[in-house]
Amino acid sequence: MAYVPINRPVRVATNLTAMVFEDVDINLFELYAAVVGGSQPGLIEGRTFRRCRLQGPAIMLVSAGVTFDDTNFGDSGGDIRNLLLRPMGARALGTIPMRSCAFENCEFFNVGFTGPQHVLDMMAGVPTGPGAAQ
Amino acid sequence: MTDIMSEAFGREIAARETFEKEGVWLPLLAVHTLNAGEGVIKGKTFTDCVIEGPALVAVLAGTTFDGCNMGAASDPKSMLYAPQGPRLVGAIGLQDCRFVRCRFAQIGYTGSADFLEGMATSLAGAGRAG
Repeated sequence: MAYVPINRPVRVATNLTAMVFEDVDINLFELYAAVVGGSQPGLIEGRTFRRCRLQGPAIMLVSAGVTFDDTNFGDSGGDIRNLLLRPMGARALGTIPMRSCAFENCEFFNVGFTGPQHVLDMMAGVPTGPGAAQ
Repeated sequence: MTDIMSEAFGREIAARETFEKEGVWLPLLAVHTLNAGEGVIKGKTFTDCVIEGPALVAVLAGTTFDGCNMGAASDPKSMLYAPQGPRLVGAIGLQDCRFVRCRFAQIGYTGSADFLEGMATSLAGAGRAG
């Protein structure tokens, strides 16, 4: 498989508590509020996103079991480190934590990423450019 | 019921300069500010508000905090993030904003190394005082 740019018209997701999202556009902070039930601490777990556009502003905490296949992480200005932040403490407050979620041929807009050092190292090695990152 | 993602609501909230005694969902304000063509939230005053995330804030020039509770964590550094590149993506910039007696919930902070060091000291001090 290879990344295919998403060129369809905007199609806002209507059911944000679904487990599988396909061909929709999602504000990550709205998704968080719908899944967690407000702005208290929580996480988004076990969701699959296919050919979705995911919008911030938001920082995604990439934790165990999250996979990205044929994904466009967004405009990095040519350096994917611009999308990455290192947590300075033991936890990561203010983020949108994701666990065991799969992203397949998705596009991110105005989203930064954080996580353990090995995740940041892995993402820093992802090639950027007009094509896809995998 | 108000449609908080509607264009009319977005125009109204983005144009407001003062917020008082109310909850402010920061990412919502940020996305409507972006839709209004502004890259950062600028020149607004928040008094006695609860500023809610989840969101990462980049504190820019001219923004002040007076008598605010910046958040709670057993490890205050859990609210701080070091950028790995020269640009910041996904953070919400606050420029020339004034926060008076506000409480921040589910908010993280990022900025220069000097800012992060100062913030870490400040948050640790607040934790000891509280």
